[in-house]
Amino acid sequence: MSGGSFFWSAGWARFRKNPRAMAGAATILALYLVAILAPVLTPYDPVSHGDLPEMRHQPPSREHLLGTDKFGRDVMTRMLYGSRISLTVSFLAVTISVVLGSIVGAVAGYTGGIVDAVMMRMVDALMSIPRLFLLLTCIALFSRSLLLVTILLGATGWMGTARLVRGQILSLKSREFVSAAEALGAGSGRIVLRHLIPNALTVIIVSATLRIGLIILGEAALSFLGLGVPPPTPSWGQMVYEGREVLLDAWWVSTFPGLAIVVTVVAYNLLGDGLRDSFDPVQFT
Amino acid sequence: MPEELLKIEDLRTVFRTEAGTARAVDGVGFTVGRGETVGLVGESGCGKSVTALSIMRLVTDPPGRIEGGSILFEGRDLLGLSEKEMRKVRGNEISIIFQEPLSSLNPVFTCGEQIREAVALHQKLGRRASKKKAIEMLRLVRIPDPEKRYGSYPHQMSGGMRQRVMIAMALSCQPKLLIADEPSTALDVSVQAQIIELLAELSAGRDMAVLLITHDLAVVAQIANRVVVMYAGAVVEESPVVELFDSPAHPYTKGLIDSLPRLGQRLERLPMIPGNVPDPFDLPEGCRFSDRCRARFEKCATEPPLFDLSGGRLARCWLCEGGGG
Repeated sequence: MSGGSFFWSAGWARFRKNPRAMAGAATILALYLVAILAPVLTPYDPVSHGDLPEMRHQPPSREHLLGTDKFGRDVMTRMLYGSRISLTVSFLAVTISVVLGSIVGAVAGYTGGIVDAVMMRMVDALMSIPRLFLLLTCIALFSRSLLLVTILLGATGWMGTARLVRGQILSLKSREFVSAAEALGAGSGRIVLRHLIPNALTVIIVSATLRIGLIILGEAALSFLGLGVPPPTPSWGQMVYEGREVLLDAWWVSTFPGLAIVVTVVAYNLLGDGLRDSFDPVQFT
Repeated sequence: MPEELLKIEDLRTVFRTEAGTARAVDGVGFTVGRGETVGLVGESGCGKSVTALSIMRLVTDPPGRIEGGSILFEGRDLLGLSEKEMRKVRGNEISIIFQEPLSSLNPVFTCGEQIREAVALHQKLGRRASKKKAIEMLRLVRIPDPEKRYGSYPHQMSGGMRQRVMIAMALSCQPKLLIADEPSTALDVSVQAQIIELLAELSAGRDMAVLLITHDLAVVAQIANRVVVMYAGAVVEESPVVELFDSPAHPYTKGLIDSLPRLGQRLERLPMIPGNVPDPFDLPEGCRFSDRCRARFEKCATEPPLFDLSGGRLARCWLCEGGGG
């Protein structure tokens, strides 16, 4: 029993017995592998044009497994490279939103009183602004770039995490080990960082996983509106957008990236649900 | 009597709730000498734990609030210290251990790490030195195989072991006063005795004063030098331990001692004190114990002061007026 934590090993044992969670985890692992190995997996270039006009809108064939788009580019190649964008943007954005949300939630929850009230009303106010509207405004104000999209997606999605973390901190701070730490002379910074956040970590990780799916959808929606990652960088949302005009004639241009979005979001949701079922301490205490 | 280490005077701690103001600690005063073990005894809800939290300045505010009095520790009034200064006192000069060792330990860190943190809080030691010290503390509280146990999580230990870990944490900076708030109540009877023995030994070995809070008179008899009895937020009797058990002065103390089972005594039922502890929102006029007291008489309608009975004995009862018992 010494060494590794019983908590993590028991959680992992529960996780492994959950086929849906394992399927989600495997899919995401595969997606990351594909994103890393994209240049090895396909002989084509994702950006440069094919021979026009004869290569335009070629249906799926042996050379182009998922067909070509209006510039004669291989759809599968662009999807493989596009996964890099979706995965990177969503991962970074979720990191930003989780860190921001945890800080705000922890400070509000731990300090309590008027600080808590003011901070949470601000969160409420931010939540009441339609997110897409906020994103569109910000993008209109600055020039479009991958970094901007990532930061915006992260900076507009932290309010839910803040509420969740605050709730956790509120219930944790009345626990006796917090008074015990205070009785040993620990200051508030140490109590938040060493005692409160680590105990809320599983809940934070679970919510982050579930949130990634939303962020991928957000990125796709922005790209679909032509406000996401600037072309010709391939992104799934943009590919769906580009194919919408020819949906009836060249259905493959939109359909496959659309499916990729669906599969990724579902996989993340399965993973998140699985993590919650396996690790959320609330369900076992 | 040894030199004074802690002197509490007229301490008043209240809790303000929607139902009104509860006077949980209402004018408590007593002293603890250097290296002395003092038992603070009373029923649940009599204000013993609130007194302890007040000394540490850990009463949750709101709803709790220390309204008045003074807590002199080595001549310094703790109630006048800033929060920052108070942090240097906590864990360093005064430590406290709580009743329930499992919930007092952080579930996601190993016990060793938590002791190491306690060490590092007040002593400038590197990681390796503080770890070494933590292992030393585990050995001091008689945890077998301390190097291995350093890596155990709280839920992997038994209740007695966890309480030993708590003691190790509390003693890691060699405090001058240890407040033990029902340290053995949540443990098995056999483990209780071990923990109390360990406390007695450690306090004697390092000349550390102990304020032992308990409702268990047997524990008090085992290690305390002096006893302070509390009832409804006030001190009703203070006495050296032998005299208290031989000839309790206050009717409440008498009731407590009579309700203890005794070897060689055959009884159908143990005697008990009739009635209940008064409501802290609505303390009775006069003597707080009067409505449960068999010896009540007219004078009890006004609150008695603490009468000095000589020999270090004090009692808050009109029967003791003029030094009688």
